[in-house]
This record gives sequence, structure tokens and C-alpha cells, in this order.
Amino acid sequence: MALDLSGLASLGAPRQRSIARFPWHVALLALSICAVGVWNLASASRSSHVDIWITQATWMGVGLVLALALVLVDYRLFRQGAWIFYGVVVVLLLVVLWKGRVIMGARRWISLGPVGFQPSELAKIAVILVLARWFSTDRESDPRRGPRGLAGIAIPAALVLVPALLVQRQPDLGTALITVAVGATMILFAGVRWKTLVVLGTAVILAAAAAWPHLKPYQRKRVETFLNPEGDVLGAGYHASQSMIAVGSGQGFGKGWGQGTQTLLSFLPEQHTDFIFSVWAEEHGFAGALVLLTLYFALVGSGVTIAMNARDRFGQFVAVGATSLVFWHAFVNMGMVTGVLPVVGVTLPLMSYGGTSVLVVFAALAMLASVGTKRFAN
Amino acid sequence: MALTPSTPRGDGATRLLWMAGFAALAFLVLLSRLYQLQVLRGEEYRVKAEENFVKELRVPADRGLVLDRNRRVLVDSRPSYDVVLIPYFCGKGCDEVVTRLATLLSFSFDEEERVREHLRTARGLVRFRPFTVKVDISRDELDVVEANRIELSGAVDVLPTPHRSYRHGIWASHLLGYMNEVGAEELVRLNAEIEKAGDDVQPYQARDFVGRRGLEKRYEKDLRGVDGIQRVVVDARGNAKRESDLIPESQRFEPSTPGNNLVLSIDWRLQEFAEKTFPATAGAVLALDARTGFLLALVDRPAVDPNKMAGRISRAELAAIRADPLQPELFRAIQQHYHPGSTFKVVTAIAALEEGVLRPGGTVYCPGRYTLGGHTWRCDKDSGHGQVDLEHALGASCDVFFYALSDRMGTDKIARWGSLLGLGKPTGLDLQGEIPGVMPDEAWHDAHQPGGHQHGMSLNISIGQGDVNVTPLQQLVLYGALATGKIWRPQAVLRIEDPKGDVLKEFAPDVRGTLPVKPETRDAVMKGLLAAVNQPFGTAYGMRMKDVVMAGKTGTAQVVKLGLKRLKASQVSYFQRDHAWFAAFAPAEDPEIVVVVLNEHSGFGSSNAAPTATAVVRKWLELKEEDARAREGVQRPAVSPPSAPPPPAPPPSPARAQKPARAGAAFTDGGRRGA
Repeated sequence: MALDLSGLASLGAPRQRSIARFPWHVALLALSICAVGVWNLASASRSSHVDIWITQATWMGVGLVLALALVLVDYRLFRQGAWIFYGVVVVLLLVVLWKGRVIMGARRWISLGPVGFQPSELAKIAVILVLARWFSTDRESDPRRGPRGLAGIAIPAALVLVPALLVQRQPDLGTALITVAVGATMILFAGVRWKTLVVLGTAVILAAAAAWPHLKPYQRKRVETFLNPEGDVLGAGYHASQSMIAVGSGQGFGKGWGQGTQTLLSFLPEQHTDFIFSVWAEEHGFAGALVLLTLYFALVGSGVTIAMNARDRFGQFVAVGATSLVFWHAFVNMGMVTGVLPVVGVTLPLMSYGGTSVLVVFAALAMLASVGTKRFAN
Repeated sequence: MALTPSTPRGDGATRLLWMAGFAALAFLVLLSRLYQLQVLRGEEYRVKAEENFVKELRVPADRGLVLDRNRRVLVDSRPSYDVVLIPYFCGKGCDEVVTRLATLLSFSFDEEERVREHLRTARGLVRFRPFTVKVDISRDELDVVEANRIELSGAVDVLPTPHRSYRHGIWASHLLGYMNEVGAEELVRLNAEIEKAGDDVQPYQARDFVGRRGLEKRYEKDLRGVDGIQRVVVDARGNAKRESDLIPESQRFEPSTPGNNLVLSIDWRLQEFAEKTFPATAGAVLALDARTGFLLALVDRPAVDPNKMAGRISRAELAAIRADPLQPELFRAIQQHYHPGSTFKVVTAIAALEEGVLRPGGTVYCPGRYTLGGHTWRCDKDSGHGQVDLEHALGASCDVFFYALSDRMGTDKIARWGSLLGLGKPTGLDLQGEIPGVMPDEAWHDAHQPGGHQHGMSLNISIGQGDVNVTPLQQLVLYGALATGKIWRPQAVLRIEDPKGDVLKEFAPDVRGTLPVKPETRDAVMKGLLAAVNQPFGTAYGMRMKDVVMAGKTGTAQVVKLGLKRLKASQVSYFQRDHAWFAAFAPAEDPEIVVVVLNEHSGFGSSNAAPTATAVVRKWLELKEEDARAREGVQRPAVSPPSAPPPPAPPPSPARAQKPARAGAAFTDGGRRGA
């Protein structure tokens, strides 16, 4: 797998056109969410009296630089590096299982000098790239080839499941689920036979039933709680019920910035990470939630448009992967906060506090923008 | 592996549209969920959010005071601090918190176990309720707890709680009663009663204290007051926060309403004097205002300290109290049976006079014993009193005289008059647990004694032995009736006042009946009672006072059957010694005060009960004089001289001169039998 540097060559020449084609609306939407996110974090961190919004803003600055760098590189370079990147990430996942730092009962972090980061976040990017690469080979992109059967999706499925299972071992159910969801979206996009889907669906249900006894007690409890949230308000249902109280009590227009009592008085655990949306919804009400929802939907819609107009199959798959990453994160997170989905540790893109998460989302959006820049001219 | 231009139109485009549609649907789901939570159910969640952070602290109401008749404070509430624990707020860390508390407040093993037991068993909502860990901590302990507030976590709270202070400890404690913490089942029951009654009364809560005995229990509703509420902001761990502006100013504090005050008829100066003067280990000193039927003093021993009973007593101390053979928890004045002994002879005398068995002035010869059907009854004076009339018989307490009367009358007539005079049923003092006593007639004996009624039993009854049983309070009412002609319902509370001092309820004197006897009968008995104190042959002659005439009767109630030989008190074990009685009133011509003294297991009434009674009477008269001086600012003679002719109950000296002849004739029969 030799590194094909031809992509670099095309970097300089069409710059004029590139700037014109750059999907500015994606950047605008992303930065809007960033601004809302930092503002919201400033409120969420009032009770702890630590100015984490500054840290978050700094990470966003770093993310912007990274994104700029990624946009400037022709994304076709990623295609060439996809396998290598994937391989490195899998190794890192093994390393983190072997000798990672244990934080809150999970082994998710490894140290790179002074900075700690979570390889599981990179796994999502790795899966996007490797699947895009897989589906853009000549054989896979033959237009005469119909929807795939079981044999056709076995390898891409394995490519998704290997890192996902490693992540799940940490254990980090949220990230593992997102990885699987992103991978599944891309495979579905590539085309799968209906019959195969039915067979797989049945298999997944059976597998879930079989896996149930092997889940960690807290994970099982969360699912049980989701199925019956009123059953244990003080125990496992605490997160769910408190976040629903926070969201609901925001009512139409919210309590105002910094006025959320659930936030201020620490009734919400993880209020600046996984439950950040409840802070926003409590303080800005249904109106605020609607604005944020619209921003995310617009971002996802832009992603779909970019995928639609992608110049090549690799770019198209990258766009689909990146967009689905944003979508699944947003949907699962907000669904969990509002009690539509069980509580799993999934961050809200650009709203939740956390450096690695910010960088990964910026990276995904940069790849998306990169695909958009080199779209077909209409 | 060349780069292949893709064809995004076609299948890919369709799938993308499907996916976009799915995303739109997903966002629509979120949107409708948000609409449901925030718009449709927003109000409900807003209330829940407020309940989350608003912690309601009770501001306990000051319980009403108990005052004596001169408004001297007997019972009040003093500020104190209780330590409570809310298990929910410490969760798994509770064990450690308790360990820390135990060290800081030096818990006993019992105390620590009690708290741990609660932590183990508390479930559900109970975990949110404050649990009293320690009551009434000292100032030092308060400082220690405050200094360690952070380590103890928000679960530990120090609540200012007014604690009941019985200023004079065990004095009058049976009357005053005591309080302690409401039990879990009792709480449910009390609140059910409140709800059923539909009164506008605040329900009880855990940690509340309720009146347990005496006036505290009887007037619980009046004394209680209404608790206030203080609302504070707390965070998820229960720590109070400064952001009080989250609660509207008008809702932050609801003040408490103090309870109403009780003004007793007790004169504490007299009570205090009686408490100090009364030498007994066990017994009672009762003083009644003869003109109103209100109690002036009520000494009752032994007693338990109500300050301790209010939750500050250890299990060991409580067990010791329960095991004490003297039964300190027994309210003797209304809850214990005693033989009235010779004090009962007034009843026998009245029955004999009213039934015509004894004519005024009639005499009996007393040789020191009385024989009936082969059995011999002893007189208290072995050598005999000789020929005695009623005055002498009551004054010197001759038993044979009354044996003779009862021999002629039988049990039923004595019982009939005893009942008419109020014996055998409660006096009606408005406190729980009064027992009726026993005034046995023949039917009673048939029902209760093996072998049924025997005629000889009437002899025992005639001198207050056998199966006749009275409470000290019944004695007080009986002698009050002899003194004034009125059978009073004794009362201890003059009025109920609100905290400002306005009278809410005034208790009027309550006469249950009049003494149902002919004036001559009363005069004849009165003469005997005067003789007991004022004649040289009287059993209480040593008690006479120079400036005031007292009438009274001693009594020595046998507890066990007499042996062949009369023994001194010191020769008999405590519980076999006789009870000493003295019942008296003064001034005899216009009685103001009635006093009954019972000194359990002390021996003779004349030597062990009469001195206290006399001292109490004297003190009362002094106090009256003192009060009069204070009121008028001028000096006045304390009491009318004994020579002054008392209009309502004139000592029937003229009658005395003409009666002996007739009486002597009437009683030759009785006298013969006595001989």
C-alpha cells in the first residue's frame, strides 16, 4: 500500500476555486454551536467555580487550527493513509486496555507526555476512513454490483466491530455504540439487501439477548431504568429523572443564563459533559432547545448535501460518515437527556466539555468541509 | 487501486434521501419530546425542581407555660439544640458520618446503636426525614459540631429546639406530667385522630414531643402551639446555599405561634414549703382551697424528674425506675389504694348518727378490746378508753366505740353513707388515670371475698381497715365536705391564657354535691375532729395552734394483720409498717384550707403525718397574711382569734351540756357489748 502523493500536487493550483467552493455554511453552523457551547459551559461551571469554559474555548482554538490544516490537505491523502491510521488506532486501543489510566472505573486514557487522550475517540475517525476506503475500491464501486448480501458486508462489518469491541472492553459503551452506528450507517449507505437486513436484524436481537448477562451491572441497570424510569428514582434513575426535571422546568423560555437551579445546585451529575444539554434546556427553555436542535439539523442537512455532491466515492463515504457521526452523537445525547433513550455516555458535539471530543468533531467536520470544497460544480 | 469517480446520483442519492429523512424524523422525535417536557409538563417539572432545592426547616413553636396561681413560672421552654441526621444526604457515607458524630458527641454504645439501627432500617421517604441523633447538646458540643460541619456533610443538622424545662425537677411532677418524643405508630394514630376530628390542628411530625402524663398530656392541645417554617436553598448534597433569592421573600419564613399558658391553682410557695417540710420517702401532701375546691399544693412522692423523662434518660436509668419497688411513676394521690384507717371513723360516725344507731351524746364503754363471735378486735389503746362519747371516740380515736356502732349497723349502712360522701368513685379531678377506690357493701364482699360477707367485716370497715380503700385525693374531698358541707370536684387549673395573657378559659369552682347530713350530725362529728387536735385526750393534741383552731383526724392504716405483740415502726421491715394519715382543715369555724397528709409506711398518723399538715396549714395562714399586707400595705391580724363565735359551724357547746344523759341511755346496750 504505497503512499500516493499525487493528492498533494493538486493542492496549490485550484485554490481560488477552492475558497469559493468552501462550504462556509458548515463552518458558520459549527462555530455557532461552539459559541453557544462555550457560553453555556460558563453557566454550567458556575457551581464548581472552575472556569472550564476557558479551557473549552482553548481546545476549540486548537480544533480550528487542526480543522484548517485538514481542510487544506486534499482529502484523497486520507484515503491513502486510511489503513495505516486504522492500524495505529487499533494498536492504541490495545495499548490503552493493557496500560491505560483508570478514571472512574474505566480504562480509557493514555498519556502522551503531559496530555492525556482517549484513543476511543480516534476509533470513530478510523472507522469512517477505513470504510470509505473499503467502499471506494474498484470492485466495491462497480455500478453493476447490486445491494450487498451477507458476504458483501462481512469484512466492513468486521472492520467496525474490531475497534468497537475493544472500546467496549474499556468499558465505554457510548463510544462503542456510536462507532457501530456510524459504521452501520456507512454500510447501509453502500447498499445492503433487504433479506440480509432482516436476517441481521434478527441476529442482532438474538445477540443482544445473549449479551445481556455479560453486560456490566451498571450498564444493565441503565437499560432497566430506561424501560422503567419511575422504578428507581433515587438510584439508577437519578440521572434520568434529574435531567428530565431540569429540561422540563425550563418551560417555554427557560430560567435565564446562570439561573438554572438544577445546574447551580448540582442536582445534575456530569452536567458539563454528557448532560450539558439539560443545562441549556433548563436555562433557555423550549425556545433555546429549538434553536440548538435547528443548528444540529442544519449541520446534518449540510452534510447530506455535501455527500450528495461529492466528487468521488471516497469523499462521499467520508461525508456520510462524518455527518452520521455528528447526527448520532447529537441524537443519542439529547435523546438520553430527555429520557427518550437510555443513559449512555455520549457527548453532545461542540457543547459537551472535553478536549478530545472537540478535536474529533472538528476533524470530522473538517473532512466534511474538505469534501464539500472539492464537490462537483453544479 | 485507482481513484474512481463515483456516481452519486442513482442509488446513492436515494439512500442519502432516506437517511436525511431518518435524521429529520429523529429530530422531530426530540422536538416533540422537548415540547412535551417543557411546554406541556413544564409546570409540573418546575415544581419538582423547586422541591429539589427547597428544604423546609421547622421552627418549633414555644409550648405554653405552666404558671402557679401567682403567675410564677413552673414549666417553660428553654433554647437548646438537637442534632439530626438526614440519611438520604449522606447515602453510603452515613456510616462514617455516624462514627465521626459518635466521637464528637461522645455517644454511649446505646446511642450509637440506635442511630445505626435507624440507618439500617430506614427506607424510602424515611431517609429524607431528619432523625434525632442527640437531644439537647451542650454549648461546647454545639461548637464542636459547627467546627466540623464540612466533614459531617450536609446530612447533619443542628436544630434549635425549645426544650421543656421543669424548673423544680421532681416537685409536683406527677401533676405537671412530662413529655417525650412521639412514637412512629403513635404518630399515625394521633394524626388520624386529628384528621377525624376535623380540627384545625397541625398534624404531628416525627421528632415532635407530646405530653405523656399529667397536665402536659391533658392540655396538650392548648399548650402545643403551631410550628413555623423556614425555607432554605440546598444543593444536591443537602448543603445550605446562600442563593436564598431563589425563594420569594414572603415564603422564606413563616413564624411559629406559641401555645397557650396554664395558670394553676397551686401556690408554689406552699408547694415548696410542703416539699421541704414533708419528711416522707413515699406519700402525699394535698392542700385544697376549702372555699373553691381548687388544689393549693400537691406533693406526691416518690416521683421521676420530668426533665429526664423528656428523652434524656438512658435505658438503664429507665429500667431502674421501672424496677423500683416504690414505683416512682405511680401518681399516688389519685392512683393508689390505701386503707383510710381511723380517718374513716367520721364516715362510720355519720352513718350511725344518720341511721339512728347513735344518738347524739351516746357513749360506749371501751375496755381495750371488742369480742364478736369468738373473735376479739383490739382497740388501739390496750388499756381501754373507758366510757367514751363520739367526741372522745373521734378525738382519742377509740376503735371499740366504732366496732360497737358497726356491730349494730352492719356493712351496708356504712357503705351507703361512704358512697354518699363520695367514696368508691373518682373525685373527678381532670387528669387521666384516677382510680375509684373501694367502698365495699355486703354484695361487694359476696362477690370478691372467699366465703362472702361476714358480719365481722363491718367492724374492720368501721375503722377504715378491711376492704375499704381510698385515694389521698378522696380523703381530701371527704374532709373538704366535712369542713364546708360541699363535695368539691377538685381542680388544679384556674384558667387558660393566650400568650399575651388574655384569658381564654376560666375554670369555675365545681360542687358535685352537698354533704347529705343533718346539721346536728355534722356538728357532732366536727366536735370530735376539734377534740382530736384541741383536747388533751386528742391524738393530735400536740399539733394545736395558739391563734387558729384546726380540726382534724389522725389515722394509722395497718398494712399487714397485727401480730400478737404491737411492734414499733423501726422493728418492722419498711413495707410492713403502717401508713400514717392526717386529715385536717382550718380555721375550724370558717375553713379555708383542707390538708391531707399520707406518709407511707412510717407508723403513727399523729407523729408522722400530723406535723406536716399542721406546718402546711400554718404556712398557708402566714402566706395569706403576707399577701394581705402586700395588697393593702397595712398590717392586719392573720386570722380571727379562736374565741370569736364562728357563725356557720358553731362549736355546739350548749348542746353538749344537755345531751349526755340521753346518749348514755341510748348506749347502754352498746356499752354493755363493749364491756
